[in-house]
Amino acid sequence: MAAATVLYQEREAEAEVSAQGAELWLTLPALTELSGWELKPEGVCKDETCVPVPAARRAALIGTEASGTVFNLTEFARLIQQPFAHDEAHAVWYFGPAGWEWKDRMSSRQAPDFELPDLAGRMHSLSELRGRKLFLLFWASW
Amino acid sequence: MVTIACDAKGRAAAEPFTTAAHQQHPSLIDEKLTVAELYDARNVPAAFWIDEEGRMVRANDPIYAQRRNRETGEVTLNTEYLDAVRDWVAKGPQSKYLMDQERINARRPALDADDVAAAAEFHLGTYLALHGHAADALVHFKRAHALRPDNWTYKRQAWSLGDIERDYGTTFQEALKDPESGPFYPPLDLAGHG
Repeated sequence: MAAATVLYQEREAEAEVSAQGAELWLTLPALTELSGWELKPEGVCKDETCVPVPAARRAALIGTEASGTVFNLTEFARLIQQPFAHDEAHAVWYFGPAGWEWKDRMSSRQAPDFELPDLAGRMHSLSELRGRKLFLLFWASW
Repeated sequence: MVTIACDAKGRAAAEPFTTAAHQQHPSLIDEKLTVAELYDARNVPAAFWIDEEGRMVRANDPIYAQRRNRETGEVTLNTEYLDAVRDWVAKGPQSKYLMDQERINARRPALDADDVAAAAEFHLGTYLALHGHAADALVHFKRAHALRPDNWTYKRQAWSLGDIERDYGTTFQEALKDPESGPFYPPLDLAGHG
């Protein structure tokens, strides 16, 4: 086990992990703490979503080490078509959105809602501005 | 009107500009570029029109309201675009500048595996750069740029965190000519649904 930083979309956490090359193995408590996913009899679950563990990929996803049952978060990312990137020198992993999140953005005419801070740190959401026409402009200092 | 600053360095980067502009509208900061990605702002500026019901009615206009000539200092207003915005304000759904879903989708195409792989490399690179590992961030920024050469947001943000000549062996002017990257700004096309 070694220390690593896992950036799981908006979450950032340090954990003891068992990295084997580019494969990221975690204990089950670390899995839930880092990603919100939990291994249950029906599959890998978070909130209302459960992803069944295909029999053919079970050995690639779930293993046993001295620390107990371990889960391969990178293999799970492949299963759910979730992009990830890894920096070996600094032991940092980044995980993006699951396939079902990034593939369905065309399904609605509604402008995607968001919540961002203003310069004073106060949060604003698109939905709170409903009822007025909105001109939304992205810019940058660079 | 709402503006969103796409800056990994957040308030420190954005505030000198917002102060100088005396902004009166909500001036938001998207440090992780998550909303820029959600809207597919592959370069800035990028403007979107959203109606009273929260529907997107125009997408991804590469638009400046005014431009300053760097040599003469002369400022010219983009009256054509400002008139289009005024037309929408006055006529609402009857404005000829509103886009149908097909045109909006063309301005904001479906993501593919390269888009999201590029995003992952870009975000990892940004994290490393902001945590004092600028040299190691370059590997990931370059992967992101190779996966999505047409994403100028990823390029310009990465360049701003280092030195384009030293780190990327190019200049801004040379990068603009790279045929892989496509146009820096697509031509402004004001047409709505036809």
